[in-house]
Amino acid sequence: MRYGRSIRKAEKPIQVRPPRDRMKNEGETAERPDNTAFTQQRLPAWQPILSAGIVIPGFLLIGLAFIGIGVGLFLTSQTIQVLERDYTGFDKDSPCFSCTNPNTQNCTCEITIALSELFKGPIFFYYGLSNYYQNFRKYGVSKDYYQLTGDTKSFKSPQESCSPFDFDSNKNVIVPCGAIANSMFNDTFELYHIINGTKKQVPLDGKGISWWTDYNLKYRNPSFVNGSFAKAFDGTVKPINWPKPAYELDLTDQSNNGFLNQDFLVWMRRSALPEFRKLYRRITEGDYSAGLPAGNYSLTVHYNYPVLTFDGRKKVFFSNVSWMGGKNDFLGIAYLVVGSLCVVMSVVMLIVYAKFKFSDDDA
Amino acid sequence: MEREEIEQERRRGLLARGTPGSVIYWICYLDETLGRRAWKVSPLGSVIKEQKHLAGVSWEVRANGRHFHQSCRRKSFLCFRWGRYADNVVRSYKYTPLTFLPLNLYEQFQRAANLFFLLIVVLQCVPIIATIPWYSTMLPLLFVLLVRGFKDLATDVGRRRSDVQINQRPCDILTPEGFETVKWKDVRVGDILRIHKDKVIPADLLLLCSTEPHSLCYVETADIDGETNLKFRQALTVTHAELNGESAKQNLGSFDGIVWCEEPNGNLHSFKGELHWKGERHLLDTDHLLLRGTVLRNTDTAYGLAIYTGSDSKILQNCGRLKLKKTRVEILLNKTVLVILLFMLTTTLLLAVGAGLFEYRVSPQYDVVSVLQRDSSSAYLGFLSFWGYIILLSPSMPISLYITFEVIHVVHCFLIGRDVEMYWEDSDSPAQARTTNLNEELGQVGHLLSDKTGTLTQNRLLFRQCFIAGHIYGDIAGEFKPLDLSWNRFSCGGMKFSDQRLVDKLRERSSPECQEFFTALALCHTVMSEWRDGLPHYQAASPDEEALVCAARELGWVFLSRTRETLTISEMGLTRNYQLLAILDFTSKRRRMSVLVRDPGGLLKLYCKGADMVILERLQGDWLLQESTERALELFAQGCLRTLCVAVRSVPETLWTEWSRALSQAGTATGNQDTALEDIYDQMEKDLTLLGVTAIEDRLQEGVPETIASLRRAGVKVWVLTGDKTETAVNVGYACKLMDPDTILIEGEELRQLLESPSPDVHLMSKETEVWTTDRRAEKSKAALVISGPELAELTKTPEWGAKFVALSDQCQSVLCCRVTPAQKAEVVEMVRKHSTSITMAIGDGANDVNMIKTAHIGVGLCGVEGSQAVQNADFALAQFSFLRRLLLVHGHWSYYRICILLRYFLYKTTAFALVHVWYSFYNGFSAQPMYESWFISLYSTMYTSLPIQCVGFFEQDVSAKSCLCWPEIYSIGQKKQLFNPFVVAVTLLYSLYTSIIIFFIPMGILQYSALDFQTLAVTVETSVVLTTTVEVILQTKFWTKWNIAAVIFSLVVFFLSTLALHSTRLFTASPKDYFFLGASPNAFSTPEVWLTIFVTTCIAVLPSITIRALGVVLTNPNKHKIHSSKKESVELQRFRRGTFQRRSSYAVSQGKGFGKLITTGVGLHSAAPPKDGRVTADGLKKESPQGSQREMNGQEEE
Repeated sequence: MRYGRSIRKAEKPIQVRPPRDRMKNEGETAERPDNTAFTQQRLPAWQPILSAGIVIPGFLLIGLAFIGIGVGLFLTSQTIQVLERDYTGFDKDSPCFSCTNPNTQNCTCEITIALSELFKGPIFFYYGLSNYYQNFRKYGVSKDYYQLTGDTKSFKSPQESCSPFDFDSNKNVIVPCGAIANSMFNDTFELYHIINGTKKQVPLDGKGISWWTDYNLKYRNPSFVNGSFAKAFDGTVKPINWPKPAYELDLTDQSNNGFLNQDFLVWMRRSALPEFRKLYRRITEGDYSAGLPAGNYSLTVHYNYPVLTFDGRKKVFFSNVSWMGGKNDFLGIAYLVVGSLCVVMSVVMLIVYAKFKFSDDDA
Repeated sequence: MEREEIEQERRRGLLARGTPGSVIYWICYLDETLGRRAWKVSPLGSVIKEQKHLAGVSWEVRANGRHFHQSCRRKSFLCFRWGRYADNVVRSYKYTPLTFLPLNLYEQFQRAANLFFLLIVVLQCVPIIATIPWYSTMLPLLFVLLVRGFKDLATDVGRRRSDVQINQRPCDILTPEGFETVKWKDVRVGDILRIHKDKVIPADLLLLCSTEPHSLCYVETADIDGETNLKFRQALTVTHAELNGESAKQNLGSFDGIVWCEEPNGNLHSFKGELHWKGERHLLDTDHLLLRGTVLRNTDTAYGLAIYTGSDSKILQNCGRLKLKKTRVEILLNKTVLVILLFMLTTTLLLAVGAGLFEYRVSPQYDVVSVLQRDSSSAYLGFLSFWGYIILLSPSMPISLYITFEVIHVVHCFLIGRDVEMYWEDSDSPAQARTTNLNEELGQVGHLLSDKTGTLTQNRLLFRQCFIAGHIYGDIAGEFKPLDLSWNRFSCGGMKFSDQRLVDKLRERSSPECQEFFTALALCHTVMSEWRDGLPHYQAASPDEEALVCAARELGWVFLSRTRETLTISEMGLTRNYQLLAILDFTSKRRRMSVLVRDPGGLLKLYCKGADMVILERLQGDWLLQESTERALELFAQGCLRTLCVAVRSVPETLWTEWSRALSQAGTATGNQDTALEDIYDQMEKDLTLLGVTAIEDRLQEGVPETIASLRRAGVKVWVLTGDKTETAVNVGYACKLMDPDTILIEGEELRQLLESPSPDVHLMSKETEVWTTDRRAEKSKAALVISGPELAELTKTPEWGAKFVALSDQCQSVLCCRVTPAQKAEVVEMVRKHSTSITMAIGDGANDVNMIKTAHIGVGLCGVEGSQAVQNADFALAQFSFLRRLLLVHGHWSYYRICILLRYFLYKTTAFALVHVWYSFYNGFSAQPMYESWFISLYSTMYTSLPIQCVGFFEQDVSAKSCLCWPEIYSIGQKKQLFNPFVVAVTLLYSLYTSIIIFFIPMGILQYSALDFQTLAVTVETSVVLTTTVEVILQTKFWTKWNIAAVIFSLVVFFLSTLALHSTRLFTASPKDYFFLGASPNAFSTPEVWLTIFVTTCIAVLPSITIRALGVVLTNPNKHKIHSSKKESVELQRFRRGTFQRRSSYAVSQGKGFGKLITTGVGLHSAAPPKDGRVTADGLKKESPQGSQREMNGQEEE
């Protein structure tokens, strides 16, 4: 306490002190700021201060944990069996070569598969396309959600985004409109187990291969008109590339038709990358619920879908799954790499720390 | 021919006024031309034409010519202005209701980001290229514009309000019906105004006459040049003679003089003009001018003719224009945004080429796609794709950063305003942030340019100690307890002197030395007294003198009044008249002044006071007490007190007669009168006997030395710019620790030599002959530069001098600029800005600092005694200089730290987020397919990632406030721009590039072996992005308040919940087109593979960041952590330091001479009557009206 500011109030202590010490009733202090923890920036706070003693073991532990997970994932992935066959028919000696001629109609080809050991079930049967840009932006938006929710109003005036797959040459509305629907994958497969030279068809389960939300919420069929499903589609035409209209997609199962056709739903869920696979069927039934026993199998392909024009490839995959999904070595490797990096870093830091400390001691 | 010259001058004036080439210029020109034509036909024209010969006087003012001037009144519409004479309205605001919208939008769209987003919004309205819905950019942009616009409006309204306050001030103008009170804003050129005592002058006036003798009047120019001493102005003899008197009103009413003078300019110390009246021409100069903003003092009433009003007035011409200040961080940010933009455009271009190629090479074979793109060339499709990508990548421009930036600034400003430790109780004023976008700059100040008077000092000199006859009285170190002065009825209080011994001695009359000492103080001065409430109040040309005379008054030696020939003082209640024989006035060269008086006993005495050097060498040979005097001087100097030596000489009658004859001869002699007088004075001022030494404290403001020392430790260069004289400035410089006691001053010729040398530094070093250069190497900055205004003006002519000066100053402790005008202050600031890379901060309290406050990067105004001009124009307002320490070291540092962290993080999170699209485009045929859901794009920066970083922006403290103050060195990170510079930005951007690569390719790599679809990948990447940026902000946060924790949790919860909600059935049924991600996230989040992917992606993305931090921890010297634990280190400065001190004895008078001449000629004497003997009783004095006594005095004068 040294000087007052004004002579008249000579001896008022001036020194800036913690504000709470000040007298409250002194003079006019209308503008005095509130003395709260927030305004005075004195909020209680936790200030973690790391030290080498925490950091180095921490890194080591994290690294080890990652390595552990990585090993687990990698081993799990190794137990998963995957069978992959390219059936594009690109090579002359491949079974489906004959089907690659665009003029061939209803071409069928057969692929033989030899299993040396039991292929454990449940088995997922995928088809895969490559060099196929389902994620092309304009392709992706080329559909009409209103149509697909069964809104019959949009059967008359589809969304602009469907263009040019919205009307056929006679100005009839295409239902379902848009590029995605039009380009629906239409190869079909039959799997036969060859037992002593006789073909035994392996039952393929086509139910529940689409997302639950798609089947139950997102896509809806138009309501029946006069008890007829086909009538609901009156005044519309099938997509140009489709052989049959939407209400006749599955002739064997009436409920698997229209916009709720499982294959249609799977197709409509766009792939993320130009090389993708989609679930075709599952092998869960009958004699094969435990898997495919060792032996020879024949896969009959009804080859319809052209891919060679854009240098695409078609494949089939058989795979069983674990808790973490399908076979995926990459995931395990990624964990292993991160884990090892952490361990290496902890060692490096230990060395650096030791060196640093020594030099510090010298000084 | 003459006429042509005049016209050229006029045109030149014009050019100076309007911007050449602008519309305004031409309008002005036309106006001029028309005006001249009118002027030609005016009836007085011919007369003027004949008489006028001063060049450059083209500004015509007709007294009582309101109509004439009204017709040429300056008007404006939008940005066009015409007319000559400005009205007297202050307009510091920027916007009018009409111009607000366009001007504000124009200002806002000067921000690259805003403009860019406008473009994006426009683009998004084109369906063919709209890759994401329009609202994702439009809403944030609107929000930014609104927030910003509202803030600007509020600021401007504040300015308007303060303008109105000034414009509404009352003043009296002469109308045909007599004087009428109007508002300032109604004053027009040509009006005759009546100004009363202690009123502020509303416009630049030509002083016509005043109620004082000789139409003298006194003005205080504190608001103009910061000097608080009085200056006198005197009217022309002719106007004084003709207009003054009983019928002043009528005389003034019929006054029809015409003033021709210079065009309005900002030069405060010069004025050139002539008055044409009654067929005669009278030259006018600055002595006849009363400037706007000055205060009339000691003068009852003055009458003046308004010459320049409003924006034409000198003080307003001195004010620069209002500029939009931008912080350096913001400039770099804008540049960064520009770089991002360029980078983005390049990328987009490449992607567009890719798209074109894809269309050309791939899609023709792929019939589904090629049909989609029917009848378009691939180049056209590439072109469309270009715009599509611009929209898609636009989130990489951190638009929400600008909102957050604003918000953080506002909060920081709020916190500054609410800081109790920057609240000054006495004036009930908290700190105030008036400009809300400069906070981080507070943490980067490199040069502090400070005003002296009222900023560093309280502008009040106090008599603290004295040395009489071997004793030192008074103690500055100890506790102060006020003396009981109730015995002295003239005591006015305000004494800061506490030594009962001296009082006792004086009252007991036991020490003749003491009595003589105070007699000297009461007599030897040029102070004038004024009686108010029966107490003498003093008006002095120098505050030192006032302090001394006041001290003498408090201790019983009261100076009562003076006439031309007498001095009346009361010595312990006994009134005595001294006959004043001569005043040997002060000049800065003589550094002393004396009075020669005949005491009531008839003895002649010379009382002299002055700087110790000059007095000590004029003492009688056998000087006693030499040693103790020296010691006392030393001691006073250590206490940073200003000393004056007081001496006396008994003058024999013969010497006086002889000397007075010589004096009168010198007075009449032609030639070098000044030197002749000096010689004669010198003859008288010798053989002195030392009476004592006074020690005056130039009261520094509270905590100034500590603050300056702290700032110096923080690496801030403190310059003092003052209108005051050199000695005072130097004294204050030493007192406030601006310079160490052993600092060498480089000034005058030496400085010039240094500056003229090719490389100042080398020269400085090689100057081995100088004593101080030898140890200069060891202690780098033991020098300070002192430069005065005139020198500055001269040096400015030399090119490159500024660079040299600034370079030189960097090697010195500080710089003192004395006797500088407001405009020069701004020039200095400008120079520092130009030649150094550091942030400049100007602090001041008066109108004379407004210029520099506006010019500097940051202007700080002290809400002091000298009006509110400085505060009005400042960016920050403080009540005390010492609060600067907290403002800079704590608030500045924190703001800088927080904002840099914030900016870096924002750049990181937005670019990392947007770049993913680039990587994805390699896999989707360059089709501008967004990686994310469009809702995620619009919510990402506003909802999912903004709160945690905002909390960091609000609360983060890398070091505690205490530590900031204890270790000012921490501050240098801001000065060195360590947290936000191009390198840091580049690293940040590279890191975000890395992050984006990881965030895209890891999920892609993992999920390509699965049957998961696009939407699942999108959700995976989205989650990874959000988690990564959240982890990053967690790593950034060092100060975890509950709000930080809440914000992090909240953001994550909001992300997950809103993602699930947006993918829910309800929204899908409402609008399938906008919410087509139905079920994507529930599906994804129930897939273990997705979680494993998200987890590993996030870990890899933040691994480098964690590693670097960990390495930092390992590598950091454990000692550094002490900053966190606030170990108390004493920053208390030693008040006294050992070592050799320079004595600082001086006499701080204003630039001009004292009032000595006025007194001896009797011109200025007006104030109080010398109380006649016997009448000097307290009652008598109280009854007596000062006015009456004054009139009495005047009467005497007239004889």
